[in-house]
Amino acid sequence: MRIGIPHCGHAYIIAEALVQKLGNGENELIVPPPTSHRTLDLGVKYSPVEACLPFKLTLGNLIEACELGADTLIHARGTGVCRLGYYVKEQEQIIRDLGYDAHFLTLDVSQNRFRSIIRLMKDLTNDAPLPRIISAFRFAMGKLFALDNIEKVVHKVRAVELEKGRANQVYREAVKAIGEARTVGEVKSAAKEYIKRLNQVSQDPTVDPVKVGIVGEVYVVLDPFANMDIEMELGKLGVEVERTLSLSRWVKYRLFLNYLGVNEWKEVHEAAMPYLKRNVGGDGWESVGEKVVYARNGYDGLVHLAPFTCMPEIVAQNIMPSTKEDIPVLTVLYDEQMARPGMITRLEAFVDLLRFRRKRRGT
Amino acid sequence: MIRVGIPRALSYYQYFPAWKTFFEALGAEMVVSPPTNKAIFTAGNSRAVAETCLPVKLFFGHAISLVNKCDYMFIPAMRSLGQKAYYCSKFIGLPDMTRALVPECPLILDPEIDLNKGRRNLYHAIYNMGRHFSSDESQIKKAVEQAEKAHLAYQKEMSARKITPIQALDEIHKDEGKSYLEPDISPGLSIAVIGHQYVIYDDYISHRLISRLQAMGVRVLTPEMAEQEALDTAMTRLGGAPHWSFEADIIGAGEYYLKAKTDGIISVAVFGCGPDSMMIDMVRHRASEFRIPFLHLSLDEHTSEGGLVTRLEAFLDMVKRKRRVCA
Repeated sequence: MRIGIPHCGHAYIIAEALVQKLGNGENELIVPPPTSHRTLDLGVKYSPVEACLPFKLTLGNLIEACELGADTLIHARGTGVCRLGYYVKEQEQIIRDLGYDAHFLTLDVSQNRFRSIIRLMKDLTNDAPLPRIISAFRFAMGKLFALDNIEKVVHKVRAVELEKGRANQVYREAVKAIGEARTVGEVKSAAKEYIKRLNQVSQDPTVDPVKVGIVGEVYVVLDPFANMDIEMELGKLGVEVERTLSLSRWVKYRLFLNYLGVNEWKEVHEAAMPYLKRNVGGDGWESVGEKVVYARNGYDGLVHLAPFTCMPEIVAQNIMPSTKEDIPVLTVLYDEQMARPGMITRLEAFVDLLRFRRKRRGT
Repeated sequence: MIRVGIPRALSYYQYFPAWKTFFEALGAEMVVSPPTNKAIFTAGNSRAVAETCLPVKLFFGHAISLVNKCDYMFIPAMRSLGQKAYYCSKFIGLPDMTRALVPECPLILDPEIDLNKGRRNLYHAIYNMGRHFSSDESQIKKAVEQAEKAHLAYQKEMSARKITPIQALDEIHKDEGKSYLEPDISPGLSIAVIGHQYVIYDDYISHRLISRLQAMGVRVLTPEMAEQEALDTAMTRLGGAPHWSFEADIIGAGEYYLKAKTDGIISVAVFGCGPDSMMIDMVRHRASEFRIPFLHLSLDEHTSEGGLVTRLEAFLDMVKRKRRVCA
């Protein structure tokens, strides 16, 4: 089997790390080229017009994987009300119509997720013995956690660095180094090293940066191509970004701690209760709850990201303005028509508004 | 008498007879909002976020029109009717969205309808709601049974007599002075119209699509005119286990009427509909395999009546020509 995967942020690093540890045998992993405008064009060309952006981008990724010879494609599937549950049905047909002979393996991300991942790993690794899978999995997770930790630091440094773009440079080197690390020890030392280097980037200590929370639909929040590097753009404007969603958090809770009865969203769901009483699929419930939590924690504003026509986020968008805990919210909706300069103009206006509010309150 | 308001939108077309029976059995009076009009549209449109789809915007307009006319408003949170098939997020968030956007709304009764959690759970949700009207558990139970019966009778009436929900509902509303339409059995072209009931039968959204087609001499077939089981079978054949609750009405009805060699299929959807954006393509694909003409109408608040009529006429011309050539 030649297994192709779609992209979502740095998720491919997990798959790569697994293969790195377990070796390529009969089953080969094909990571499509990083999401590019070509990917988007392919996705848009072959998708139903009104499909959402994550559908189009992942379809583009999978087509590019097929071009490299993939015959087995992996895609996430959720049982729930979001369109994600329909991706596989539809993409399978599109790819077949394009003349590729590929079948899908689905990765369940809601029910049966643990079993689904173990099964997928067995497929990916040519039925390697379980202890080896576990050690490879730990290695991959090490990389994931290292990357997410470095990201947290870079969010803070970007906002206050003196020489704009320096932190980003270090961050890019860090991603490369973590990707190339070959042992758990190397991952750890690389992470330590780069966090140190990020903190050494010369910073302006007099600035108290504007703080903004990022919430919304998980794919556009996590994928920098889909959200047009919104975190970096906010950093350039001197904004410190905080976000709860991350791949490492998903793995930690959804694959392990949830089964022990820990609900990572408990506080957020309770905060959402007065306004939205139930899960509406996707990340809609969490978006509403997080607005309340960020407002309570004294953040200056909230940036809410969603693909255009995303159903759960439209529910959140309709409810958010009525919460008692009030902070300014900027909703950015992404589709293939969206252009980066337009987004930047909106961000600039939003950040100006947040600064003005701060000044008026005299803090 | 306690008055319960029901907005004439979304699930109304599917479940009104059941709801009416239930609440009347508990001694409440039903207040239904008028058919969609400009004022309702403007009111709903002014409250909701622009990206919201048209039927949901209209729902808010209907809710606003019921303010001060009822003591409770009934807006169930529809999650699933079993089979692990789900409603769209906006149906689940409907009571909470209405509360946020129409703060002047009376108390909202919002039982969560989720058959995946079992009948017992569903009954519990309904019972909790029924307690607003009666403390007698057996009376609530009886009301539920009657409602179920009314719902089955409504479905059966539509499939047996080949009439649309509007025709069937008109009979229920007869006391409002409306005339009852006879089922249409003209021998001309037969065209299947597939889509959500709240799109096809809301004349404000669909620009009187059904009656327009009928006036053009077309025999219109809609999902409700087929037996539910037949739709389910067709749906499973084409798309496997369903993911959406509406799949029988779209994929099922599409496949069913394609197999029945209807002269043409018109699918009607509103712009921005998540489930439809995925499902329609499957039917379109299937129609090209069957070589049956397929027209997709994507409607929104800016759709002009003139443009719609032109497209319908062109489509019917094409269907007629194809029939002549193939005959």
